Amino acid sequence: MKKIVLSAICFFSVSCKAQELFSMSEPASNMPARSIAFRIDNLIMDEINSSKINYHLIPGIRAGISKKLMINGSAFFSNRLKQFKAEGASLYAKYRFLSNDAVQKHFRMAAFGTLSFNNSDIHQEEINLYGHNTGFEAGIVATQLLHKFALSSTVSFAKVLDNGNNNMYVYGSQNSRVINYSFSAGKLMLPVEYRDYRQTNINLMVETQSQVNTGSGKYYVDVAPSLQLIFNSESRVDIGYRKQISSNLIRTAPNGFFIRIEHTFFNAF
Amino acid sequence: MKKTLLLIAIAASLITNAQVNTVSLQASGLTCSMCSNAINKALKALDFVQDVDADMKSYTFQVSFKPNSIIDFDMLRKSVEKAGFTVCAFVATIHFDKREVKINQPVTIQHQTFLFANGATTLLDGNMLIKFLDKGFVSQKEYKQHAFLAPPPHSYHVALD
Repeated sequence: MKKIVLSAICFFSVSCKAQELFSMSEPASNMPARSIAFRIDNLIMDEINSSKINYHLIPGIRAGISKKLMINGSAFFSNRLKQFKAEGASLYAKYRFLSNDAVQKHFRMAAFGTLSFNNSDIHQEEINLYGHNTGFEAGIVATQLLHKFALSSTVSFAKVLDNGNNNMYVYGSQNSRVINYSFSAGKLMLPVEYRDYRQTNINLMVETQSQVNTGSGKYYVDVAPSLQLIFNSESRVDIGYRKQISSNLIRTAPNGFFIRIEHTFFNAF
Repeated sequence: MKKTLLLIAIAASLITNAQVNTVSLQASGLTCSMCSNAINKALKALDFVQDVDADMKSYTFQVSFKPNSIIDFDMLRKSVEKAGFTVCAFVATIHFDKREVKINQPVTIQHQTFLFANGATTLLDGNMLIKFLDKGFVSQKEYKQHAFLAPPPHSYHVALD
Protein backbone atom coordinates (compact mmCIF):
# COMPACT_ATOMS: atom_id res chain seq x y z
CA MET A 1 0.00 0.00 0.00
CA LYS A 2 2.86 2.34 1.00
CA LYS A 3 4.48 1.56 -2.36
CA ILE A 4 1.29 2.45 -4.27
CA VAL A 5 0.99 5.80 -2.47
CA LEU A 6 4.68 6.52 -3.13
CA SER A 7 4.32 5.66 -6.84
CA ALA A 8 1.23 7.86 -7.08
CA ILE A 9 3.12 10.78 -5.53
CA CYS A 10 6.06 10.22 -7.93
CA PHE A 11 3.73 10.08 -10.94
CA PHE A 12 2.10 13.38 -10.10
CA SER A 13 5.23 15.19 -8.95
CA VAL A 14 7.03 14.88 -12.32
CA SER A 15 5.92 18.43 -12.95
CA CYS A 16 4.00 19.77 -10.04
CA LYS A 17 1.08 21.50 -11.66
CA ALA A 18 -3.34 21.02 -11.57
CA GLN A 19 -7.01 20.44 -11.86
CA GLU A 20 -9.74 19.84 -9.38
CA LEU A 21 -12.99 19.25 -11.26
CA PHE A 22 -13.13 15.72 -9.96
CA SER A 23 -15.36 13.03 -11.39
CA MET A 24 -16.24 11.10 -8.24
CA SER A 25 -16.18 13.86 -5.65
CA GLU A 26 -16.68 17.61 -5.39
CA PRO A 27 -13.82 20.01 -4.67
CA ALA A 28 -14.06 22.71 -1.98
CA SER A 29 -14.27 25.35 -4.73
CA ASN A 30 -17.71 26.29 -5.99
CA MET A 31 -19.16 27.21 -9.34
CA PRO A 32 -18.90 30.90 -10.23
CA ALA A 33 -21.80 32.96 -8.85
CA ARG A 34 -24.66 33.41 -11.36
CA SER A 35 -23.57 30.45 -13.49
CA ILE A 36 -25.70 27.42 -14.34
CA ALA A 37 -24.43 24.05 -15.50
CA PHE A 38 -26.25 21.08 -16.97
CA ARG A 39 -24.68 17.70 -16.41
CA ILE A 40 -25.53 14.19 -17.51
CA ASP A 41 -23.94 11.29 -15.66
CA ASN A 42 -23.99 7.83 -17.18
CA LEU A 43 -23.01 4.86 -15.01
CA ILE A 44 -22.55 1.55 -16.79
CA MET A 45 -22.12 -0.90 -13.93
CA ASP A 46 -21.39 -4.60 -14.21
CA GLU A 47 -23.64 -6.65 -11.93
CA ILE A 48 -21.79 -9.22 -9.83
CA ASN A 49 -23.17 -12.78 -10.09
CA SER A 50 -24.93 -12.05 -13.38
CA SER A 51 -24.14 -10.94 -16.89
CA LYS A 52 -26.46 -7.94 -16.50
CA ILE A 53 -25.28 -4.37 -17.03
CA ASN A 54 -26.99 -1.76 -14.87
CA TYR A 55 -27.29 1.56 -16.63
CA HIS A 56 -27.91 4.62 -14.45
CA LEU A 57 -28.73 7.93 -16.10
CA ILE A 58 -28.42 10.92 -13.76
CA PRO A 59 -29.19 14.31 -15.29
CA GLY A 60 -28.46 17.28 -13.04
CA ILE A 61 -28.67 21.03 -12.92
CA ARG A 62 -26.34 23.11 -10.74
CA ALA A 63 -26.04 26.78 -10.01
CA GLY A 64 -23.67 29.17 -8.28
CA ILE A 65 -25.91 31.19 -5.95
CA SER A 66 -23.18 33.40 -4.51
CA LYS A 67 -19.41 33.33 -4.36
CA LYS A 68 -19.63 30.89 -1.43
CA LEU A 69 -22.79 28.85 -2.07
CA MET A 70 -23.78 26.45 -4.83
CA ILE A 71 -26.66 24.01 -5.21
CA ASN A 72 -27.26 20.95 -7.36
CA GLY A 73 -30.38 18.96 -8.19
CA SER A 74 -30.20 15.52 -9.78
CA ALA A 75 -32.72 12.95 -10.99
CA PHE A 76 -32.08 9.21 -10.96
CA PHE A 77 -33.09 6.83 -13.74
CA SER A 78 -31.98 3.24 -14.22
CA ASN A 79 -32.76 -0.06 -15.90
CA ARG A 80 -31.78 -2.15 -12.87
CA LEU A 81 -35.29 -3.53 -12.48
CA LYS A 82 -35.63 -4.67 -16.10
CA GLN A 83 -37.49 -1.58 -17.22
CA PHE A 84 -35.73 1.79 -17.58
CA LYS A 85 -37.51 4.19 -15.23
CA ALA A 86 -37.23 7.17 -12.91
CA GLU A 87 -36.28 6.13 -9.38
CA GLY A 88 -35.63 9.27 -7.40
CA ALA A 89 -33.92 12.63 -7.01
CA SER A 90 -31.48 14.49 -4.79
CA LEU A 91 -30.67 18.01 -3.67
CA TYR A 92 -27.12 19.04 -2.80
CA ALA A 93 -25.70 22.30 -1.39
CA LYS A 94 -22.11 23.29 -0.69
CA TYR A 95 -20.83 26.31 1.25
CA ARG A 96 -17.18 27.38 0.98
CA PHE A 97 -16.10 28.70 4.36
CA LEU A 98 -12.34 28.98 3.94
CA SER A 99 -10.26 30.24 1.05
CA ASN A 100 -6.53 30.98 1.11
CA ASP A 101 -5.57 32.04 -2.41
CA ALA A 102 -2.20 32.78 -3.97
CA VAL A 103 -1.14 32.85 -7.63
CA GLN A 104 -1.85 29.37 -9.07
CA LYS A 105 -2.47 28.06 -5.57
CA HIS A 106 -5.26 27.74 -3.07
CA PHE A 107 -6.30 25.89 0.03
CA ARG A 108 -10.05 25.82 0.46
CA MET A 109 -12.56 24.13 2.69
CA ALA A 110 -16.30 23.69 2.30
CA ALA A 111 -19.22 22.07 4.08
CA PHE A 112 -21.91 20.24 2.13
CA GLY A 113 -25.19 18.45 2.61
CA THR A 114 -27.27 16.09 0.47
CA LEU A 115 -30.88 14.97 0.67
CA SER A 116 -31.79 11.99 -1.49
CA PHE A 117 -35.00 10.22 -2.27
CA ASN A 118 -35.29 6.87 -4.01
CA ASN A 119 -38.19 4.57 -4.88
CA SER A 120 -36.31 1.46 -5.92
CA ASP A 121 -35.90 -1.74 -3.90
CA ILE A 122 -33.02 -2.02 -1.42
CA HIS A 123 -30.70 -4.60 -2.91
CA GLN A 124 -27.34 -4.03 -1.23
CA GLU A 125 -25.68 -3.24 2.11
CA GLU A 126 -23.65 -0.44 0.55
CA ILE A 127 -25.32 2.91 1.17
CA ASN A 128 -25.38 5.04 -1.95
CA LEU A 129 -27.31 8.31 -2.02
CA TYR A 130 -26.46 8.82 -5.70
CA GLY A 131 -29.20 6.71 -7.23
CA HIS A 132 -29.90 3.88 -4.75
CA ASN A 133 -30.98 4.99 -1.26
CA THR A 134 -33.19 7.51 0.47
CA GLY A 135 -31.26 9.38 3.16
CA PHE A 136 -29.14 12.38 4.00
CA GLU A 137 -25.45 13.17 4.16
CA ALA A 138 -23.32 15.99 5.59
CA GLY A 139 -19.59 16.47 5.28
CA ILE A 140 -16.49 18.56 4.92
CA VAL A 141 -14.15 18.83 1.93
CA ALA A 142 -10.64 20.29 1.80
CA THR A 143 -8.84 21.00 -1.48
CA GLN A 144 -5.28 22.08 -2.19
CA LEU A 145 -4.40 23.44 -5.61
CA LEU A 146 -0.70 23.65 -6.49
CA HIS A 147 -0.15 24.93 -10.03
CA LYS A 148 -1.48 22.17 -12.32
CA PHE A 149 -1.88 19.63 -9.54
CA ALA A 150 -4.81 19.32 -7.14
CA LEU A 151 -5.46 17.20 -4.08
CA SER A 152 -8.79 16.91 -2.33
CA SER A 153 -10.19 14.96 0.57
CA THR A 154 -13.77 14.54 1.77
CA VAL A 155 -15.20 13.09 4.97
CA SER A 156 -18.94 12.78 5.43
CA PHE A 157 -21.58 11.17 7.57
CA ALA A 158 -24.61 9.59 5.91
CA LYS A 159 -27.79 8.15 7.34
CA VAL A 160 -30.02 5.95 5.25
CA LEU A 161 -33.80 5.74 5.62
CA ASP A 162 -36.37 3.38 4.08
CA ASN A 163 -36.83 3.89 0.37
CA GLY A 164 -40.14 4.97 -1.12
CA ASN A 165 -42.80 2.49 -2.32
CA ASN A 166 -42.48 0.57 0.98
CA ASN A 167 -39.00 -0.60 0.13
CA MET A 168 -37.56 -1.04 3.62
CA TYR A 169 -33.90 -0.75 4.58
CA VAL A 170 -33.52 -4.39 5.55
CA TYR A 171 -30.09 -4.35 7.19
CA GLY A 172 -31.26 -2.98 10.56
CA SER A 173 -31.43 0.55 11.93
CA GLN A 174 -28.18 0.00 13.89
CA ASN A 175 -26.47 -0.43 10.50
CA SER A 176 -28.04 2.59 8.83
CA ARG A 177 -25.17 5.06 9.38
CA VAL A 178 -21.94 5.25 7.46
CA ILE A 179 -18.81 7.37 7.23
CA ASN A 180 -17.76 8.08 3.63
CA TYR A 181 -14.31 9.32 2.83
CA SER A 182 -12.56 10.06 -0.41
CA PHE A 183 -9.17 11.13 -1.62
CA SER A 184 -8.72 12.66 -5.08
CA ALA A 185 -5.71 13.75 -7.10
CA GLY A 186 -5.89 15.49 -10.45
CA LYS A 187 -3.37 16.86 -12.87
CA LEU A 188 -3.69 19.14 -15.85
CA MET A 189 -1.71 17.36 -18.59
CA LEU A 190 -2.46 19.54 -21.63
CA PRO A 191 -2.09 22.22 -22.80
CA VAL A 192 1.46 22.70 -21.56
CA GLU A 193 1.04 26.44 -21.99
CA TYR A 194 -2.22 28.39 -22.20
CA ARG A 195 -2.77 30.69 -25.18
CA ASP A 196 -6.55 31.03 -25.45
CA TYR A 197 -9.84 29.76 -24.05
CA ARG A 198 -10.51 27.46 -27.01
CA GLN A 199 -7.62 25.12 -26.27
CA THR A 200 -8.78 21.67 -25.15
CA ASN A 201 -7.67 20.81 -21.64
CA ILE A 202 -6.81 17.24 -20.71
CA ASN A 203 -6.82 16.26 -17.06
CA LEU A 204 -5.97 12.96 -15.44
CA MET A 205 -7.52 12.00 -12.13
CA VAL A 206 -7.16 9.18 -9.64
CA GLU A 207 -9.67 8.97 -6.85
CA THR A 208 -10.48 6.60 -4.01
CA GLN A 209 -13.94 6.27 -2.53
CA SER A 210 -14.49 4.45 0.75
CA GLN A 211 -17.29 3.69 3.15
CA VAL A 212 -17.40 2.26 6.66
CA ASN A 213 -20.67 1.26 8.28
CA THR A 214 -20.58 2.55 11.87
CA GLY A 215 -22.83 -0.31 13.02
CA SER A 216 -21.49 -3.41 11.34
CA GLY A 217 -17.96 -2.12 10.75
CA LYS A 218 -18.19 -3.42 7.18
CA TYR A 219 -16.47 -1.35 4.52
CA TYR A 220 -15.50 -0.93 0.90
CA VAL A 221 -12.58 0.79 -0.84
CA ASP A 222 -12.85 1.68 -4.54
CA VAL A 223 -10.42 3.30 -6.90
CA ALA A 224 -11.50 5.33 -9.94
CA PRO A 225 -9.04 6.61 -12.55
CA SER A 226 -10.52 9.00 -15.09
CA LEU A 227 -9.68 11.16 -18.07
CA GLN A 228 -11.28 14.57 -18.45
CA LEU A 229 -11.53 16.78 -21.51
CA ILE A 230 -12.52 20.44 -21.25
CA PHE A 231 -13.67 22.15 -24.45
CA ASN A 232 -13.87 25.88 -25.07
CA SER A 233 -13.36 26.50 -21.32
CA GLU A 234 -17.06 25.78 -20.71
CA SER A 235 -17.84 22.11 -21.50
CA ARG A 236 -16.39 18.94 -20.09
CA VAL A 237 -16.46 15.20 -20.69
CA ASP A 238 -15.18 12.77 -18.06
CA ILE A 239 -14.59 9.11 -18.82
CA GLY A 240 -13.53 6.79 -16.05
CA TYR A 241 -13.71 3.35 -14.52
CA ARG A 242 -14.63 2.56 -10.92
CA LYS A 243 -13.17 -0.62 -9.45
CA GLN A 244 -13.61 -2.20 -6.05
CA ILE A 245 -10.25 -2.88 -4.36
CA SER A 246 -11.52 -4.34 -1.14
CA SER A 247 -14.89 -4.87 0.54
CA ASN A 248 -16.85 -7.08 2.90
CA LEU A 249 -20.19 -5.41 2.18
CA ILE A 250 -22.91 -6.89 -0.02
CA ARG A 251 -22.71 -4.82 -3.22
CA THR A 252 -24.69 -5.39 -6.41
CA ALA A 253 -22.55 -3.75 -9.07
CA PRO A 254 -19.46 -1.97 -7.70
CA ASN A 255 -17.40 -2.02 -10.92
CA GLY A 256 -18.11 -0.12 -14.09
CA PHE A 257 -17.59 2.79 -16.43
CA PHE A 258 -18.82 6.30 -15.94
CA ILE A 259 -19.20 9.10 -18.45
CA ARG A 260 -20.08 12.67 -17.50
CA ILE A 261 -21.05 15.41 -19.93
CA GLU A 262 -21.41 18.93 -18.58
CA HIS A 263 -21.85 22.42 -19.97
CA THR A 264 -21.60 25.66 -17.98
CA PHE A 265 -23.39 28.89 -18.81
CA PHE A 266 -21.58 31.82 -17.18
CA ASN A 267 -23.52 34.94 -16.06
CA ALA A 268 -26.75 33.02 -16.64
CA PHE A 269 -28.90 34.93 -14.16
CA MET B 1 -11.53 58.97 15.39
CA LYS B 2 -9.07 58.01 12.67
CA LYS B 3 -12.01 57.28 10.37
CA THR B 4 -13.61 60.68 11.11
CA LEU B 5 -10.37 62.45 10.24
CA LEU B 6 -10.21 60.41 7.05
CA LEU B 7 -13.77 61.42 6.14
CA ILE B 8 -13.00 65.10 6.78
CA ALA B 9 -9.86 64.81 4.69
CA ILE B 10 -11.80 63.20 1.84
CA ALA B 11 -14.50 65.87 2.00
CA ALA B 12 -11.79 68.48 1.56
CA SER B 13 -9.99 66.57 -1.19
CA LEU B 14 -8.62 68.06 -4.35
CA ILE B 15 -10.74 67.39 -7.41
CA THR B 16 -8.38 66.55 -10.19
CA ASN B 17 -8.91 66.49 -13.89
CA ALA B 18 -7.63 63.03 -14.76
CA GLN B 19 -8.70 60.09 -16.89
CA VAL B 20 -8.70 56.40 -15.92
CA ASN B 21 -7.48 54.58 -19.03
CA THR B 22 -7.24 50.91 -18.09
CA VAL B 23 -7.03 48.57 -15.12
CA SER B 24 -4.70 45.60 -15.02
CA LEU B 25 -5.63 43.05 -12.37
CA GLN B 26 -4.11 39.74 -11.47
CA ALA B 27 -6.29 36.97 -10.04
CA SER B 28 -5.14 34.30 -7.63
CA GLY B 29 -6.43 30.89 -6.63
CA LEU B 30 -6.74 29.36 -10.11
CA THR B 31 -4.85 27.44 -12.77
CA CYS B 32 -7.26 26.09 -15.36
CA SER B 33 -8.73 27.90 -18.36
CA MET B 34 -12.32 27.28 -17.21
CA CYS B 35 -11.62 29.26 -14.02
CA SER B 36 -9.88 32.00 -16.00
CA ASN B 37 -12.84 32.11 -18.39
CA ALA B 38 -15.23 32.56 -15.44
CA ILE B 39 -13.33 35.72 -14.46
CA ASN B 40 -13.09 36.90 -18.07
CA LYS B 41 -16.86 36.59 -18.56
CA ALA B 42 -17.71 38.13 -15.17
CA LEU B 43 -15.60 41.22 -15.96
CA LYS B 44 -17.06 41.52 -19.47
CA ALA B 45 -20.59 41.46 -18.02
CA LEU B 46 -20.03 44.79 -16.18
CA ASP B 47 -21.82 47.62 -17.97
CA PHE B 48 -18.88 50.06 -17.82
CA VAL B 49 -16.37 47.57 -19.24
CA GLN B 50 -15.50 47.92 -22.92
CA ASP B 51 -13.19 44.92 -23.27
CA VAL B 52 -11.09 42.44 -21.31
CA ASP B 53 -7.77 41.17 -22.61
CA ALA B 54 -6.81 38.06 -20.64
CA ASP B 55 -3.22 36.88 -20.36
CA MET B 56 -3.84 33.25 -19.44
CA LYS B 57 -0.21 32.60 -18.56
CA SER B 58 0.03 35.25 -15.86
CA TYR B 59 -3.70 35.28 -14.84
CA THR B 60 -3.72 38.99 -15.62
CA PHE B 61 -6.75 40.78 -17.08
CA GLN B 62 -6.36 44.09 -18.85
CA VAL B 63 -9.70 45.91 -18.59
CA SER B 64 -10.63 48.86 -20.80
CA PHE B 65 -13.68 51.06 -20.24
CA LYS B 66 -16.52 52.51 -22.26
CA PRO B 67 -16.14 56.24 -22.97
CA ASN B 68 -17.81 58.53 -20.40
CA SER B 69 -18.77 55.60 -18.18
CA ILE B 70 -18.56 55.64 -14.38
CA ILE B 71 -15.84 53.18 -13.46
CA ASP B 72 -16.39 51.25 -10.24
CA PHE B 73 -13.16 49.65 -8.98
CA ASP B 74 -15.01 47.77 -6.21
CA MET B 75 -17.27 46.13 -8.80
CA LEU B 76 -14.21 44.89 -10.70
CA ARG B 77 -12.83 43.31 -7.52
CA LYS B 78 -16.22 41.82 -6.59
CA SER B 79 -16.61 40.28 -10.06
CA VAL B 80 -13.38 38.32 -9.58
CA GLU B 81 -14.56 37.22 -6.13
CA LYS B 82 -18.00 36.18 -7.43
CA ALA B 83 -16.27 34.03 -10.03
CA GLY B 84 -14.69 32.26 -7.04
CA PHE B 85 -11.22 33.84 -6.92
CA THR B 86 -9.23 36.67 -5.36
CA VAL B 87 -7.51 39.77 -6.74
CA CYS B 88 -3.82 39.80 -5.80
CA ALA B 89 -2.69 42.85 -7.80
CA PHE B 90 -4.71 45.80 -9.12
CA VAL B 91 -3.07 48.63 -11.06
CA ALA B 92 -4.93 51.46 -12.82
CA THR B 93 -3.35 53.49 -15.60
CA ILE B 94 -4.51 57.05 -14.98
CA HIS B 95 -3.67 60.07 -17.08
CA PHE B 96 -2.90 63.15 -14.96
CA ASP B 97 -2.47 66.73 -16.03
CA LYS B 98 0.35 68.03 -13.81
CA ARG B 99 -1.05 67.33 -10.36
CA GLU B 100 1.10 67.54 -7.27
CA VAL B 101 0.10 65.16 -4.47
CA LYS B 102 1.34 64.71 -0.93
CA ILE B 103 1.22 61.64 1.29
CA ASN B 104 -2.31 61.03 2.62
CA GLN B 105 -3.67 64.04 0.77
CA PRO B 106 -6.89 62.83 -0.90
CA VAL B 107 -7.28 63.30 -4.62
CA THR B 108 -10.67 62.84 -6.28
CA ILE B 109 -10.85 61.50 -9.81
CA GLN B 110 -14.21 60.79 -11.42
CA HIS B 111 -16.14 60.46 -8.11
CA GLN B 112 -13.50 58.21 -6.55
CA THR B 113 -11.00 59.31 -3.94
CA PHE B 114 -7.37 58.24 -3.81
CA LEU B 115 -5.15 58.48 -0.76
CA PHE B 116 -1.51 58.31 -1.77
CA ALA B 117 0.14 56.20 0.88
CA ASN B 118 3.79 56.50 -0.02
CA GLY B 119 6.44 58.98 -0.99
CA ALA B 120 6.83 62.66 -0.29
CA THR B 121 5.38 65.28 -2.64
CA THR B 122 5.02 63.81 -6.10
CA LEU B 123 4.16 65.41 -9.38
CA LEU B 124 1.69 63.29 -11.33
CA ASP B 125 1.90 64.04 -15.01
CA GLY B 126 0.94 61.93 -18.01
CA ASN B 127 0.07 58.23 -17.72
CA MET B 128 0.83 56.99 -14.22
CA LEU B 129 0.47 53.45 -12.87
CA ILE B 130 -1.50 53.59 -9.63
CA LYS B 131 -1.43 50.46 -7.49
CA PHE B 132 -4.32 49.81 -5.10
CA LEU B 133 -3.34 48.70 -1.59
CA ASP B 134 -6.59 48.02 0.27
CA LYS B 135 -7.92 44.64 1.37
CA GLY B 136 -9.13 42.61 -1.60
CA PHE B 137 -6.90 44.48 -4.08
CA VAL B 138 -3.60 42.92 -2.99
CA SER B 139 -2.66 39.45 -1.79
CA GLN B 140 -3.53 38.57 1.81
CA LYS B 141 0.21 38.53 2.58
CA GLU B 142 0.78 42.01 1.13
CA TYR B 143 -2.30 43.40 2.84
CA LYS B 144 -0.91 42.40 6.22
CA GLN B 145 2.12 44.63 5.56
CA HIS B 146 -0.07 47.74 5.11
CA ALA B 147 -3.17 46.79 7.12
CA PHE B 148 -4.97 50.03 6.24
CA LEU B 149 -8.21 50.87 7.97
CA ALA B 150 -11.06 50.11 5.57
CA PRO B 151 -11.66 53.39 3.70
CA PRO B 152 -15.15 54.78 3.02
CA PRO B 153 -16.90 53.54 -0.19
CA HIS B 154 -15.18 54.56 -3.42
CA SER B 155 -12.03 55.64 -1.58
CA TYR B 156 -8.77 53.79 -1.96
CA HIS B 157 -5.28 53.74 -0.51
CA VAL B 158 -2.91 53.76 -3.46
CA ALA B 159 0.75 54.07 -4.34
CA LEU B 160 2.68 54.79 -7.51
CA ASP B 161 3.58 51.41 -8.99
